[in-house]
Amino acid sequence: MGKVRLSQEGVVFALAVALFAVFAVLLNNFLTAGNLIALVRSVSILGILGLGMGLVVIGRGIDLAMIATMVVTLSWVLSMAQAGTPFDTALAYGFLLAVAIGLASGILIAYADIPAIFTTLAMGLVIYGSGRAFLFQIDVQNTPSGVAWFDFLGRGLLFGLPMPIAAFAVLAALIALMLMRTRFGRFVYAAGDNPLAARITGVPLRPLIVLQYVVSSLIAFLAGIVMAAAVSGMSTRVYNSTMIYDVLLVVVLGGISLSGGRGGVRNVLVGTLLVGVLLNGMTILDITYTTQNLIKSLILLLAIMVDSFINPRDEQTSQQSQGDI
Amino acid sequence: MTPLVQLRGVSKDFRGVMAISEVNFEIRPGEIHAILGENGAGKSTLMKVLAGVYQPSSGEMLLDGQPATLKSPSDALSHGIAMVFQETNLVPSMSVAQNIYLGDEKLFNRLRGLNIQAQRYLLSLNFYVDPTVQVSFLGAGKKQLVEIARAVHHNARLIIFDEPTATLTPEEKFHFFNLARRLKEEGMAIIFISHALEEALQLADRITVMRDAKVVVTDETSKFDRDRIVQAMVGRSLSGELYSDQARVPRPMGRKILSVENLSMGNTVRNTSFSVFAGQVTGLFGLVGAGRTETMKIVAGVLKRDYFHGGTVRFEDRPVRYRTPRPAVRDGIVYVTEDRKIEGFFETMTIAGNIQLGDLAKGDNLLTPTTPRQGRDLAVEWTKRLGVRAIDADARVIELSGGNQQKVVLAKALVQKPKLVILDEPTRGVDVGTIVEIHNFINDLADSGMAVVVISSYLPEIIALSDRILVARQGRIVEEMDVAEATESRIMYAAVH
Repeated sequence: MGKVRLSQEGVVFALAVALFAVFAVLLNNFLTAGNLIALVRSVSILGILGLGMGLVVIGRGIDLAMIATMVVTLSWVLSMAQAGTPFDTALAYGFLLAVAIGLASGILIAYADIPAIFTTLAMGLVIYGSGRAFLFQIDVQNTPSGVAWFDFLGRGLLFGLPMPIAAFAVLAALIALMLMRTRFGRFVYAAGDNPLAARITGVPLRPLIVLQYVVSSLIAFLAGIVMAAAVSGMSTRVYNSTMIYDVLLVVVLGGISLSGGRGGVRNVLVGTLLVGVLLNGMTILDITYTTQNLIKSLILLLAIMVDSFINPRDEQTSQQSQGDI
Repeated sequence: MTPLVQLRGVSKDFRGVMAISEVNFEIRPGEIHAILGENGAGKSTLMKVLAGVYQPSSGEMLLDGQPATLKSPSDALSHGIAMVFQETNLVPSMSVAQNIYLGDEKLFNRLRGLNIQAQRYLLSLNFYVDPTVQVSFLGAGKKQLVEIARAVHHNARLIIFDEPTATLTPEEKFHFFNLARRLKEEGMAIIFISHALEEALQLADRITVMRDAKVVVTDETSKFDRDRIVQAMVGRSLSGELYSDQARVPRPMGRKILSVENLSMGNTVRNTSFSVFAGQVTGLFGLVGAGRTETMKIVAGVLKRDYFHGGTVRFEDRPVRYRTPRPAVRDGIVYVTEDRKIEGFFETMTIAGNIQLGDLAKGDNLLTPTTPRQGRDLAVEWTKRLGVRAIDADARVIELSGGNQQKVVLAKALVQKPKLVILDEPTRGVDVGTIVEIHNFINDLADSGMAVVVISSYLPEIIALSDRILVARQGRIVEEMDVAEATESRIMYAAVH
């Protein structure tokens, strides 16, 4: 199995490079500075979200509320800033909201034993609905002017790299370190591989699950900050887009198995690269939005099929895990 | 007499690894045939070839003397070959009657008619199972009856059982033996895989021993004894080491480490009381359904006792009430499961990863740095202590044999440095050679001062290992004895109701 997974990463990476080369040769506008910056920007936000999703999926969960969390926390923060609240204070409120959302999803999943996919699906709707009803009124929130670090985060360069991609790289390194080299990370893999065995071994299973959703929520908040800085605002249109499927596509295509316990940050990186190049190329090719969605959805379906073929979830274990006491 | 099924030079390989190679095998009508062999010897693969689950890579298969190929299990069933797997293939949420007639329902199915039909049918087989009961509420023995009823209903002439007695109580085993003999008298051929040599000697007409993907010997049962089988299985004689009859000196009781009073949980554990002492092995015997596993799982925090009148557990003279296994592990109580695949090991991880997780789980701070190196060091130490045979510590647990997997699960538990370790069926599904090693290791643990509880359904194992024996019956510990005063009949007398 080890060989198969390694080659899956390799194949995805090779595909991404090949696709990049093909677009670079065939499309006039692809290799321009403007397009590459747009590519990098979209890729880094997708990648940051993919890191959060990847973490949860490794722990045998899924967080479909990430986009809602990102949109609502940032729209709220920006609307508070517009209304005169100091930006730092507004960000602190947003941070707390993200933690609260993660706690709510996590507690429902871990302690009420509701399947993660339904909890977070509903949670996304609830967050977005209450955000629109109580927290902000207009669709597009603009960023406050005059916050230097915020402008730098959007447009600055760090060692020649645009800041969004630098933020993605730093976060990726942090998550990788957390997964591979801390007790928390090993627990996440254990819980994703076999929750019953993890519990018996003494892993604090339920608090761990809650923590995973808090982390993914916070990563969504972070992705929102980077996005708002990069495009100078936050629009509720993002919530109504297919972005959550793009994030899933990044994770599954990269090779993190939906059956849990398998994969890592490397998989998110190659997945992000391929999906980013693909989306950008399709946009330049002027493929209609509908067709793009069709292509993406077919690839997602294919990736999920390949995943369940390579990593079949053991029938016995999955049956048992539904009856956790 | 034409053999019912005959295999000639049949091989099956998985990606180049030979699971069975050049096997010649025949099964005659109306015989009971036992297949013995260590884990990984190819027994299950051979049976699955017979049952149409796998298609042979090479070789020839004859049914009633005619060449035939079985494309699928249902194809095999239409030829009269049925297989009863270790994990039953029944639909848990359906009734017994629905399961028996699964697959040939009429378009409009009347439940009452079906139940009456099933009732008559079951009685004609002398099976006392209520056809309206949902299968998930049945015990292992009854489930097996339903599976057999289903096979007979499909006009099976050959029924293959994969370890039919592994999950049965001695009582249910007795029924199974009688049933097998009755089916045989009706002309049915029976093959069963087993780890229990006595069963094979007692029940089978012929015995086949497999080793390393090959059939070592097939012969009439009367020509075998324990020694000859074991020798054929492992290529060496173990009879002196395993279950020696010579009297042992029991270890003295150490300090009382665990005392349980009036423990209750629903109707599986009923008001039970007992104590466990350090520095010795406490054997816990009981028939399935006696609440042994549940009692010990409560002690280790895996299950919760009743909220009201649940009784008290005192560990090291301190009352404890664990709601999850974690605080128990941190206090020094570790439970090693009887079902390592479901709640034992982590299949995506290496040996090192598994053992390291045991170590990590005892600790507290989630951000503590860990390195793969620490895991590898632990793995090297423990694989040496337990004699895990694997290429290296980076081998994945899923690729190991049952015996080696069990050793890894043991290491994962013992790396947590428990004061009280509870081993639930520590040698289930483990080959004969490894059983000896695990027994020796358990003795070493007790000698080092640890309190060891061994739950086992196998009397010779209980008597060979224990210093003190507890017998459970219907959710309660009913008798306690020193090994010196214990005999198989005395223990069994206490266990049956």
